[in-house]
Amino acid sequence: MRGAFVMHGARWLSGEALVRLLVLLAALALLVVGLLFPLASMLVKSLQDRAGDFVGLANFARYVQTPALVGSIVNSLTVALTSTALVVGLAFLCAYGITRTCMPGKRLFRMLAVLPILAPSLLPAISLVYLFGNQGWFREVLMGQSIYGPIGIVLGMCFWIFPHALMILTTALSTSDARLYEAAEALGTPKWRSFLTITLPGARYGLISCAFVVFTLAITDFGVPKIIGGQFSVLATDVYRQVVGQQNFQMGAVVSVILLLPALASFVVDRWIQRRQVAQLSARAVPWRPTPSPLRDWAFAGLCYAVGAAILLVIGTAIYASLVQFWPYNLSLTLEHYAFEMLAGGGWASWFNSLKLAFSVALIGTLVIFFNAWLIEKSDGYRVLRQGLHFLAMLPMAVPGMVLGLAYIFFFNQAGNPLNWLYGTLAILVLNTLVHFYTVCHLTSVTALKQLDPEFEAVGASLKVPFWVTFRRVTLPVSLPAVLDISVYLFVNAMTTVSAVVFLYTSDTRLASVAVMHLDEAGYFASAAAMAVLIFFTSLAVKLAHAALSHLLLTRAQAWRQAG
Amino acid sequence: MPTLTAPLSPAAGTDRATVAEAGLHLEISGLTKRFGQFTALREIDLAIREGEFVCFLGPSGCGKTTLLRAIAGLAPQSAGRIIQRGRDISRLPPQARDFGIVFQSYALFPNLTVFDNVAYGLRNRRDDRAWIRARVAELLALVDLAGSEAKYPAALSGGQQQRVALARALATEPGLLLLDEPLSALDARVRVHLRGQIKALQARLGVTTIMVTHDQEEALAMADRIVVMNHGTIEQVGTPAEIYRRPASAFVAEFIGSMNFLEVRPDGAHALRLGRRRLDCPAHDCAGDSRARLAIRPEAVKLCAANEGLSARVEHVEFLGAFLRVGLTLTETGQALVADIAVRDAEALGLAPGASLGVLLPSEALRLYPGREARA
Ligand SMILES: Nc1ncnc2c1ncn2[C@@H]1O[C@H](COP(=O)(O)OP(=O)(O)O)[C@@H](O)[C@H]1O
Ligand SMILES: [Mg+2]
Repeated sequence: MRGAFVMHGARWLSGEALVRLLVLLAALALLVVGLLFPLASMLVKSLQDRAGDFVGLANFARYVQTPALVGSIVNSLTVALTSTALVVGLAFLCAYGITRTCMPGKRLFRMLAVLPILAPSLLPAISLVYLFGNQGWFREVLMGQSIYGPIGIVLGMCFWIFPHALMILTTALSTSDARLYEAAEALGTPKWRSFLTITLPGARYGLISCAFVVFTLAITDFGVPKIIGGQFSVLATDVYRQVVGQQNFQMGAVVSVILLLPALASFVVDRWIQRRQVAQLSARAVPWRPTPSPLRDWAFAGLCYAVGAAILLVIGTAIYASLVQFWPYNLSLTLEHYAFEMLAGGGWASWFNSLKLAFSVALIGTLVIFFNAWLIEKSDGYRVLRQGLHFLAMLPMAVPGMVLGLAYIFFFNQAGNPLNWLYGTLAILVLNTLVHFYTVCHLTSVTALKQLDPEFEAVGASLKVPFWVTFRRVTLPVSLPAVLDISVYLFVNAMTTVSAVVFLYTSDTRLASVAVMHLDEAGYFASAAAMAVLIFFTSLAVKLAHAALSHLLLTRAQAWRQAG
Repeated sequence: MPTLTAPLSPAAGTDRATVAEAGLHLEISGLTKRFGQFTALREIDLAIREGEFVCFLGPSGCGKTTLLRAIAGLAPQSAGRIIQRGRDISRLPPQARDFGIVFQSYALFPNLTVFDNVAYGLRNRRDDRAWIRARVAELLALVDLAGSEAKYPAALSGGQQQRVALARALATEPGLLLLDEPLSALDARVRVHLRGQIKALQARLGVTTIMVTHDQEEALAMADRIVVMNHGTIEQVGTPAEIYRRPASAFVAEFIGSMNFLEVRPDGAHALRLGRRRLDCPAHDCAGDSRARLAIRPEAVKLCAANEGLSARVEHVEFLGAFLRVGLTLTETGQALVADIAVRDAEALGLAPGASLGVLLPSEALRLYPGREARA
């Protein structure tokens, strides 16, 4: 009886190892087809002429000799560096307020500060036009300068990048060690010296990492400069203009390669810092608790509320603009701008397409990415394969959306590619979005998995339970909070992204974010605002549902999480 | 620390004869495990008998867990063979081997109740729910946790969690039970209690058991045989009494119990010189060496009047309840020596720091190991 079972077990097991290998290979195929091949096609394209013959660096030479194009590099750098300085400075002050003071209303401010993430980056640009444009209420504030151009771009960037910076810096500043401050106080060190010698060095890796993340987001963003850039061209809009405007795919590829460089560089630096930072944490650190100090607390509260008010103003402007008859002449309220059917942009169908995309990416992406992360993290054997997969999973972070989207055209639209049928379907949008936002989800999964007992899988194996059963019955339920975080992150990003998908939609698969852009291009500004607002409220609803669901699950899981 | 007051006898360990007659459960030969350049296990040969309770004992990092995981198939060996009940399992993955395991962390599934944890390995065997329920109840009764089915692991104490892990490992009636430091996370009182419970359970079920521990007291108290390991190799295999009385190497002698070491010079195969004094000792194989290390347990050292034996001075006296621990310095060589003396004997000797007295080293209690430089 036992002999028979073991024989049976042996055969079934080799099946299990095979399944493991096959899934790992499938994950590899996903990232190779969804990331490496397209990028390779793009590199090849940048070295070819229109006829497809190899011309070496001739395209790059032509690029360098075209002042209009080279100028964009300077423009991009100027805008990105200015935004980085502003956002990091402001976010640092706000993060300091949240973590190191007793300012009132921290929770409310943190909730407000998340809002920009829920909107496409087109939304702040549209609002800024309403606020500071030719018909804008605050036009005079700019003292004759136009909002169309660097000023508008920087302001718009600051708005939607701010939450990312705030999250990183809040984390960096909340890992403090009270013992250091107590020692400093005992030695009679003035507060400003404690700040310079303890607080800043403690947060330096967070600050550097934050600066690079912000810089990458700023230099690769497409939505803000597309709406408000005017004649001021940057790298991301150049890619679009070369490809969509002039049908010059080779030059589009060249600009993409150039756009890839700063993103790759900051990716490398960020990885390096992440590795350094681990060694810095001490398990014995005692968290520092701020003591009330009215002047300081209210100063920081004032600053944070000002930021919160600015965020509400920008979002509120978009909402209001979408509801009035004709800004600024007829301010009576109407819903007629939400009747998209007559206009450019595909109407409500595009919103349904976005919903379909967002739900598909959230569902498929969460399962695929979390399961892959689990295989990579918790299998033994296939070491090279797993390390390679981990590297590939980190790579999407370094690839700007514009670049990824264009690369998809080159790869999937090639004659003779067996995957050609994907081109123009919703499936390619799902694949593209999944790969585009892969890294953060992968890292979240890995962090969650590292907190689990490393022997769960071994116990399952010793009890002769197939690994996927242990995954379903133990790993997945225990990691549910992280899994929900991933799914909502994917949903919101799929809902709001423009950059990658702008190259990949067809008239049947037009997305809401792309519709915003087209409505704006066609001059239906109020409807563009309306569509952006629609996206915002969709994301907000999902985010709130997520919060409720997480709360429910945590209460239910309280039984096993906190018992005893 | 166990003190051996019984006279040494060559028959020690024969009470395990019943075990010896049973067949072999596990035969390990030439097992080597490398992690990159580092060799964690080197050419391990070991045979474990059916129904035996074996402890892997050694300092932290010596490769005990690695050997256990190799037996389980969780960390396959780089070279060597493992045969279980005549079946070569060297290349088999864990699922195809016949064992149950309890990890140091217990690795209980936090989101499953005690019932579901214990039944985890039963579900894919039979669909009969009533049978599973009866089996889980039986197992929980076995580990003294009857009625805890509905609790979650977080609601249990460390000792209770440990027993749930044990019940889960035993649920599928494995032929081999592997325990990796099962008691190390518990406080001392619980540990001693569970020690007896696990040992009794093992004897009752007759399941061949391997337990990893770095606690020599635990190994001496529980094991039928102890495998002493160091630096990825086996130093000695034997019953607790054999290991304690006849340590095969200076490492074992030092690792198990307390031991005095004295630098001496071998003098023929049956004697040695300590300073100028010539002492008889059991046969040893250091005859050719110029230096050797003499080992003797503190409780084997006898004290007597100053005019007998080796003269020594008392440095300090520690009262340890049942006996006194006396720190001595040998007058001639200046070497330090520790003796454990029954309180009754101490009174007769008039022990006090600074006192001079004589030391007797009974020849049957002496063991000689190669000197430090000769061992390299
Ligand atoms: N996965 C691994 N990779 C590299 N080295 C390992 C690994 N597992 C164990 N080791 C090393 O092998 C040696 C033995 O480890 P282990 O068997 O866990 O010791 P212990 O006897 O304390 O259980 C240690 O030096 C450890 O650092
Ligand atoms: Mg160990």
